[in-house]
Amino acid sequence: MMNAETLVNDFASPANLRDWQALREVEIFLYREAELADTHRYDEWFKLWTRELLYWVPCNTDDLDPKRKISFVYDDRDKLEERLYRLGTKHAHSQQPKSRLARTVSNVLFEDYEPARGGAVISRFVCGEARGGEQTVWMGRVRHTLVREEGRLLMKEKKVFLLNNDMPMGNLTFII
Amino acid sequence: MNQPIIEWGHPNTDAALAGLAQEGRVHSRLYTDPGIFELEMQRIFSRAWIYIGHTSEVPKGGDYQLRRMGRTPVILVRGRDDEVRVLLNRCRHRGTQVTETESGNTKFFRCWYHGWAYDTTGKLVEVTEPGGYGANFRKEDMGLTPVPRVDTYRQFVFASLAPEGESLAQSLGGPASKIIDLLVDASPTGSIHVDGGTHKAVYKGNWKLVGMDGYHPNYVHSSVVAAWARNAEFGIGAMHREDPFVDAAPSRTRDLGHGHCMLDFQQHRLGHYEQHCGFLKKIPGGEKYIEDMYRAYDRDRAKLLIALAGDPHIGVHPNMQLIGNQVRIVNPLAVDRTEVVMTAVRLGGVSDEVNAVRLRQHESFYGPAGAGSPDDGEIFERAQRGMMAEVEPWVDLSRGMEREETDADGTLVGRITDETTQRGQMRRWKALMTGAK
Repeated sequence: MMNAETLVNDFASPANLRDWQALREVEIFLYREAELADTHRYDEWFKLWTRELLYWVPCNTDDLDPKRKISFVYDDRDKLEERLYRLGTKHAHSQQPKSRLARTVSNVLFEDYEPARGGAVISRFVCGEARGGEQTVWMGRVRHTLVREEGRLLMKEKKVFLLNNDMPMGNLTFII
Repeated sequence: MNQPIIEWGHPNTDAALAGLAQEGRVHSRLYTDPGIFELEMQRIFSRAWIYIGHTSEVPKGGDYQLRRMGRTPVILVRGRDDEVRVLLNRCRHRGTQVTETESGNTKFFRCWYHGWAYDTTGKLVEVTEPGGYGANFRKEDMGLTPVPRVDTYRQFVFASLAPEGESLAQSLGGPASKIIDLLVDASPTGSIHVDGGTHKAVYKGNWKLVGMDGYHPNYVHSSVVAAWARNAEFGIGAMHREDPFVDAAPSRTRDLGHGHCMLDFQQHRLGHYEQHCGFLKKIPGGEKYIEDMYRAYDRDRAKLLIALAGDPHIGVHPNMQLIGNQVRIVNPLAVDRTEVVMTAVRLGGVSDEVNAVRLRQHESFYGPAGAGSPDDGEIFERAQRGMMAEVEPWVDLSRGMEREETDADGTLVGRITDETTQRGQMRRWKALMTGAK
């Protein structure tokens, strides 16, 4: 399947042209996910997930054993639903007012992805946040595990590797 | 910046400071004045017993962790001789930090300014181009400076930059030590591992705002309380059944003396013992945990320890808190900037699954993406901004003064919404800052 090397070496082969189409579909999915997260449209964002899910933002390091270490976020479906519910109440003070967000998603590459079934996709993001008179820039790498269900792409796992995950930080209560 | 209201260094500084910290109210300058912050660095963080870390954070010879005592950078290190030390992170030559890595294992601390090297006991073992020094230069006098006093309580390492003063045992006092035990003894083997990972949160506010407050949860955390109403066992909700944060609840605020204070949930949680056992029994290893606790402790003690779930909810003045499932270090960075380092605990002698549930509970509420900590930080920042208004500069801490009582062990007890805890911290602040008793 397409990776950076085959893209460069064999740019216009028929197989790669098919991959371009697959890549475009994934990119548009990721853009849409970014758009819904940026605009706090969490009901719609939540519908991008499969029934069973893992939304994971590790801390201190990119790789850890969740049985023995805490993360910033380690949400299954119930915990994520609770998170979104809380953010939807009127009194989640650290999101009153809400963070204004603008993120770009780029460097999208397949790690282990087949259009028919889905798989793992790697990307980079830069997310600007404006809140309380300050602008903060968040950035990092994301590994999405996508699944095709009834023709649609859905997220089964989203793991966010924040660049500063070992550093002191303020308020990360929005969806990153 | 508002003009200083005290002339620092003036003979009346102590009297002026005492006037700012009155019983039941304190002046906003305690939180906003850079001059007072400077004095705190000298009179509190360079004198009192400061919490450094737990020996389980440096389990093997050569393991180290970087910590700070106010502004002083220190290394908590277990030497290759197995002794745990607290050394200043400062080369004896030109003052450079000898290690920058937050934690690790090493044979040497080498200063890369001019190549001097120290071993893990702090001994200076190599001076490059040694011919440049005369006969009076003695390597054995030039080791990494140890912090003058280091002592431990149940593997919690404390240090003081003052060569003399009250001992750690005196500073902790009897009541606070017994409360610290409530965390350690939540393990059936009486052992904890402070190695569950670290959340580091920063807020733009004074370090004393962290406090210990039983009045705020229904307001600051009302979004979490709303989530608990849907699912009583959501996150740390499993510990806070049936609203412990109202006056009618059997939970209490407690001033343990020496600035140490707690939200005392012991009676409240004993009232939910059966529910908590039910919660534990759903977890693999949970039933065995309960059995092991009854094997390790007598009946009443085991019941209390299980019910409290290893959450002493104590603030050990000035920079340590044991809350929920975490050991928390409060690092003042500037008068209006504070770092809170929260390290999750794993209980010894307990199944991975029970510990994993405790880690998930911590995550749900604490840390930069938790449901609770960021709202605390948000409110502290609002307080910091509001306190810049000085027409009426007093911060009121009088709640419950009329109804608090002295308990049999000499501790002062209030209702959970009472400011007994804040008054205890402020009395200690005043004593440390002015030498008052």
